[in-house]
Amino acid sequence: MNMFRRGHLVIPFLIFLLVIPATALCAGKGKIKHLTSITKNSEIGRLSLLSGLFFDESRNRLYVTDTTNKRILAFDVDFKFVSEFNAGGALVAPTSLARNSKGRLFVAEPAKGKVLFIDIKQKSVRPINFSAVPKANAVYPGNMAVDSADNLYIVDKANQRVLIFDADMRFNRQILVKDGNGLIDVKVGPNGNIYTLDTIDGAIRVFDRRGNLLKRFGKKGKDKGEFNFPVSLAVHPNRMVYVVDQHNHKVLAFNKKGEFVLDFSQLGWREGRLHYPSYIYINKAGKIFVVDRANSRISIFE
Amino acid sequence: MVMVRRKICWAFFIFFCAFICSMPAAGRSYAQSTQQINLKKCLKCHPALGKELASKGAHAPFKNLQCSSCHNPHASNYKHLVKEQIGKLCTSCHKGKKEKIGKKYSHPPFEEGACLKCHRAHSSKNRKLLVAGSGELCFNCHARKEILSKKHKHDPAKKGKCLTCHSPHTADHEPMLKKSLKQACASCHSITSNKAQKSHSYYPVQDTKCTSCHNPHASNHGGLIKERSHKPFARKKCTQCHNSAQSKNPLAVKGKGVSVCTACHPSVSKDFRKVNAHVGRGVFCTNCHSPHTSDELHMKKAKETKVCTDCHQDTKRRLRDNKNKHKHPSVMEGKCSDCHRPHGSNFRLFYGADEITTCTGCHKRHASFTHPVGKGAIDPRSKGEITCITCHNLMGSRHDFSLRFNRKKQLCIQCHKGY
Repeated sequence: MNMFRRGHLVIPFLIFLLVIPATALCAGKGKIKHLTSITKNSEIGRLSLLSGLFFDESRNRLYVTDTTNKRILAFDVDFKFVSEFNAGGALVAPTSLARNSKGRLFVAEPAKGKVLFIDIKQKSVRPINFSAVPKANAVYPGNMAVDSADNLYIVDKANQRVLIFDADMRFNRQILVKDGNGLIDVKVGPNGNIYTLDTIDGAIRVFDRRGNLLKRFGKKGKDKGEFNFPVSLAVHPNRMVYVVDQHNHKVLAFNKKGEFVLDFSQLGWREGRLHYPSYIYINKAGKIFVVDRANSRISIFE
Repeated sequence: MVMVRRKICWAFFIFFCAFICSMPAAGRSYAQSTQQINLKKCLKCHPALGKELASKGAHAPFKNLQCSSCHNPHASNYKHLVKEQIGKLCTSCHKGKKEKIGKKYSHPPFEEGACLKCHRAHSSKNRKLLVAGSGELCFNCHARKEILSKKHKHDPAKKGKCLTCHSPHTADHEPMLKKSLKQACASCHSITSNKAQKSHSYYPVQDTKCTSCHNPHASNHGGLIKERSHKPFARKKCTQCHNSAQSKNPLAVKGKGVSVCTACHPSVSKDFRKVNAHVGRGVFCTNCHSPHTSDELHMKKAKETKVCTDCHQDTKRRLRDNKNKHKHPSVMEGKCSDCHRPHGSNFRLFYGADEITTCTGCHKRHASFTHPVGKGAIDPRSKGEITCITCHNLMGSRHDFSLRFNRKKQLCIQCHKGY
């Protein structure tokens, strides 16, 4: 009889053994939570084609480019709308944006083939001078990033290279992604390494400050951890790399060795889900900002 | 207490016996593992198969009356009571075909395990149980009209000897070629003869892709030159774009990057000055267009679907996914540019205009009569505006009218919760 009772104990124990590892695996996924979303409202009005996003750490401001509405929107640390800005009508179709520690704002205008350099204090808007850039196809500015030394990194999609300008806006050097196909994004990691993403071959490349290729990982495919159509990447302060897969409506995360760790979100319209996401940015506090383009909103995860 | 122990012992013994008995079957194909019984019984109800039995090219298990090697006589999850999905069933015996899976390119029916698209299961008057003779078989799906209607035909294509150049299951070279394109052509054609050199204006074309100018199957032009020619090519004015044949680097193009194209086609540059643009390194026009000859409109390198899906591989997989059987007609016809702008666009997903304008350009009735869309029509889930693609997925869906959800069950209640 005691044996029989013990048998009853064995079954829950076996279930416990099976359930615990399963929940532990799921716990990895549950780490990323949806915090909030920025959607259209009476203050900001209708949101059109959202493109770039930048979090200014020194001012605790979030900036978003609303491309078709020709404006930049600013939000405070609680993601409440603060102001909108169109550089005195100088913005035509702003896409990517970045801001350096001196408060200078850089806005890509691919329709003009320019990157505008906006000094808000001096109320001046000037294009960055590309005359020193090695000649090839006319520069088509894509996504941009700024490092801790205020160097500006610009993806030149028409030449598959990253152009690097110093803090004084002088052309410094270029990184050619020689065997790449579809260079689309650039970010600078916490240790100063430069991360690039190619859409067509689905490759993430890590370069050192001098432009030497250190690592390449990621590939396209239909298996877990592979991309359908990667369009943007961001480096977490813990050096995890997050990649937005636009056609899979997901964000995939890789550890610093380049191994796939987890993915989150899925196709959907409700908050926390994504529909053709187009850009990702991670701030120093580890908040993950995703431009959820077809849902016309910014989704914020942590 | 003793009873419980005995029961446990018996249960363990039965489980052990079952495990041991199942071991010999492991690792065997379906045909090998099946218990042989008198299957002439099958023919009593399926007498038509009796005639096929006498066929010279009958499938071995069928000839030996081993019906149960492929079929389960009682029940199955698959059509015709077969034991497994056709592809898996076939490769359980035809191991050689299984090993070919690692190759770079696969014939879609082979990849999908649809062996019966080309082969018969029981018997055939053709070799290798083929549904038709090899040439005729290929023409069932591929380019019959395009090849046979042309004035000049490549000899293997004319005779239906497709396997001279192509591999039917898998290949390391595109499009399903047995050898690299260069080797495939050079195995019969010499490029070093004086005649060949003269016809190529003495440019060193031996390392170039022959199919960039020649149609490997048929053409109305001599030398199987493709139907449309770029004007400088037709006039043999190679030096308009290239260095001279006698120069150090004769095949190099003049000018930097894409300027070689925009020098004559300046208006195209504007198409690329958009928020989204298909720009790339070097002479990126040639990513999609052929600079010499083409069989397609606008000198496209290949059919539009192929040009697009060569890069958009995930879209290719989606188009081939038979589960997504409801697709927009333009998607089915491979006319990507009906909705998307191939050079550049200021709208998401390279649409020619905003989504509603793009759709109502053809679906005119929906412009005036439809579920509310656009300004003021808010999707309660996303708080964004409702557009056509809120409910429709035009690239392929399992539901009628390419709807994202079943319109009889889930679609409306996504938003209209009260119902």
